[in-house]
Amino acid sequence: MHARVKCEGCHTDITEIPHKPAKKVDCLVECHIVEPSSEKKFSHKDVETFLATSVHGRLDNEGKEKKYVEDYPNCKNCHDNPLYRPLSFFKKVRPGISEASLGRCRVCHKKEEFVFQFYNHVTTRLHKSRNPLNIAEMCGRCHDDPALVARHELSTKAVFSYGETFHGKAASFLDERVPDCLDCHVNKGESVHQMISHKDPKASTHDNNRGKICATIDCHPSASAKFASYGVHAEFSLVQSPAQYFFTVFFIILTGCTLLPLMGIIFLDIVRRFFPHAEMGRRK
Amino acid sequence: MKNFLFKIYMLGFLVLTVFFMVIIWKVTFAHIFHEYHDRHEAQEIAKFKEGKEAPTDKSTFEKIILESDERVKHYLGYKILEETRIKGHFHHIGFDIGPDKRSYCVDCHGDMPHDAVKEIRAFLNMHAFFVGCETCHVKLEKAQKTGVYKWYDRTTGEIVASPVAKEKPGSFRAKIIPFESVNGKLQRVDSQERMDFAREYEEREDTLTEAQKSRAKKLIHKIVHKQPYMCEDCHQKEKPLLPLAEIGYPKERIDSITGTEAVGMIKNYTKFYMPKMLLPGEANKKK
Repeated sequence: MHARVKCEGCHTDITEIPHKPAKKVDCLVECHIVEPSSEKKFSHKDVETFLATSVHGRLDNEGKEKKYVEDYPNCKNCHDNPLYRPLSFFKKVRPGISEASLGRCRVCHKKEEFVFQFYNHVTTRLHKSRNPLNIAEMCGRCHDDPALVARHELSTKAVFSYGETFHGKAASFLDERVPDCLDCHVNKGESVHQMISHKDPKASTHDNNRGKICATIDCHPSASAKFASYGVHAEFSLVQSPAQYFFTVFFIILTGCTLLPLMGIIFLDIVRRFFPHAEMGRRK
Repeated sequence: MKNFLFKIYMLGFLVLTVFFMVIIWKVTFAHIFHEYHDRHEAQEIAKFKEGKEAPTDKSTFEKIILESDERVKHYLGYKILEETRIKGHFHHIGFDIGPDKRSYCVDCHGDMPHDAVKEIRAFLNMHAFFVGCETCHVKLEKAQKTGVYKWYDRTTGEIVASPVAKEKPGSFRAKIIPFESVNGKLQRVDSQERMDFAREYEEREDTLTEAQKSRAKKLIHKIVHKQPYMCEDCHQKEKPLLPLAEIGYPKERIDSITGTEAVGMIKNYTKFYMPKMLLPGEANKKK
């Protein structure tokens, strides 16, 4: 996606080759792309504001640094060099570029590079910019780290418990239709950087708003508020989810205590067939 | 015979039963132990943190080597792009070429041996990924000279077909090696004899006297010419050193390699500046 930004657009202090030790890139720098609607130089500055006020911001409400501040993410913790994920809509929606559509673009637009960039940019923005599995893996780098979960007293290894659900399992098979972390944890229409704590009444995951998460037009439009009341991040933990814990233990014991003895009996039966005349004691 | 087959059948069935028992154990009771252990580990860490003990810094080895080994797959829908993920980096440009196990030069000089001239060392080391050391540093004369060059696999050392057509530039898992004429026969310059000698020296280096070391090094480097082939020996239209077509380069690549741009840049410039065209708007600002 950054193909139009030259190296110096981000590495602003490099002016010669070979270059001297370079400064770390400031992602909020104004680059040399002009944003067409405002005709101003493009920048990611707004993201800084969003992130600062989100649950991932480094300062608390009083402007003090949060505890374990080094755990809070910066741009590069979540963002690799982003890649286009173009879509074709020509006959059916499918991943990839539609040559037929490109042909239509070329009627008016003569510059091949422009056509290619514009097509990729627009179609990538019309759906998830990353696959749900990639999103989950990205969040999991922090939220599945047991030490970080414990340090911040989080209730769950979030991506692990997501992976235990129907949605998580479908995501692991690369299904694009299932919700990923961002679909539930960000209010619709807002930037994904504006993720707020579930304790905040404005948060999509707040108890008062949770019912609306599932009932969106793209997911389960006729779902009631109760539909969203199930434990999405239920873990196998007596403290965190006692009901699920006892159910799981019950079924584990039921399955184990039924199938293991059954297999044991089959095993002994086969052994007996190998030694049909063997006896434990001496024959009287 | 029937009895024997029946026993084999029963034995297979027995193994299958044990296999199922292990699976059932893993998904039932072992699962409980595993989950408990995971949670317990997290709680232990929390206690450790609460104790305000400073976390131990990871060693440089861990940071550079172990943490850089994570691989990620980007699911782009129409294709999957897999790459090495380097923690804390934005551009993940991992080299997937693998070590050169054949070359006895890299045993001492390393995979990136050129560090003397800062301006061109990156170019030279980039070439060292697919050009064997002997290709530039050995100048075969008269009867020895054959003009034959072939590709060898970096891992097995075997002579292989040209990778140029099949792989992308920069990802070849093979290197170019020259061939010399020995008693009328073609022989690769990194012969088994030379390789064994150098490797034996390496093994016994600690036990040798300074004079013995000096003699051994002289013999190992006997074939190395003081003045290696330079960029323009290959990057020229008239008579390039490497028979580019014979070693598998297509015409367009040959035209690009033998063009004057690359050599002209290295010969004529001592300091490289970013061209102004790469800084749109900067020229106007200065005015």
